[in-house]
Amino acid sequence: MMKVWQHYALSWGWLIILTTASVAVGQYFQHATLNSVLFIAIVMLIIALKGQQIIDVFMELKHAPKFWRNIMLAYVIVIPLIITLIYI
Amino acid sequence: MPDNQQLTTAIMVNETTFSEKNTQTNDIKKLPGDLAMWFFILAELTVFAIFFIGFAIAENLNLVMFSEGKAQLHKVAGLINTIALITSSYFVAISVHSMRVNKERQAVFRLLLALISAAIYVVLKLWEYQSLFEQGIDIETNTFFTLYFLITAFHFMHILLGMVILAYMAKNAYQGKYKNPETENEFSGFESGACYWHMVDLLWIILFPLIYII
Repeated sequence: MMKVWQHYALSWGWLIILTTASVAVGQYFQHATLNSVLFIAIVMLIIALKGQQIIDVFMELKHAPKFWRNIMLAYVIVIPLIITLIYI
Repeated sequence: MPDNQQLTTAIMVNETTFSEKNTQTNDIKKLPGDLAMWFFILAELTVFAIFFIGFAIAENLNLVMFSEGKAQLHKVAGLINTIALITSSYFVAISVHSMRVNKERQAVFRLLLALISAAIYVVLKLWEYQSLFEQGIDIETNTFFTLYFLITAFHFMHILLGMVILAYMAKNAYQGKYKNPETENEFSGFESGACYWHMVDLLWIILFPLIYII
């Protein structure tokens, strides 16, 4: 059975991997002549994934009333989506 | 007068009811911290949402200026700051768990580690500002740097407030003021402080890619 701190540590590791991935994607697209909308969409997707980890694990909203979990998750989905649409 | 068998049955029924009630209570989905703190968090998130959208619109209107501005920012410093804040949030999350299992000293130690991680962010951010000032860049340089300083400094103030809250939580935990986590009001203050800190981290998670990466 996984200890509580290990559960949080896994989430921490996942957040670090995602952060590093978004910087790496930024570096890659800086030197490549690829679609910038695709690049922005990838970075925004990473934001949503990181946000979900913070909301569900660190803020412990996974088992909280649905209204609060949904409103927080909506924030990390809708804001990146709006930003992506602005850049298109 | 009821006989012994009736009394035993009555006690068993009462115990079953109590046990069922407990199970039901545990099943009820609970919001960590105070409800007022969550409304405050929503208000803060809304203010930052306006900043984020405003920044994206301004960038769309001044693509060259924003691209040149972003090139002058220190991406590695931004990356280290992100790691520092995520690590700090991790320590705060496990300190909440320590409080739940009545390990106040462990919680204080974890909060101190969270504060050290936050201090790394503060030092690095100040260094970033200083190096920009040394290059002659300030809030009036252009639209990009106006928004950069406005948004990051506003977030920086939230970090400082969050650090004061974490230090206050550590002091209270050290003094044993959260001795009884079952007392909802006492412990919910600790949870509220933790959630505020996670919100500050959540905002940086959006701010960092928006300003430094894309």
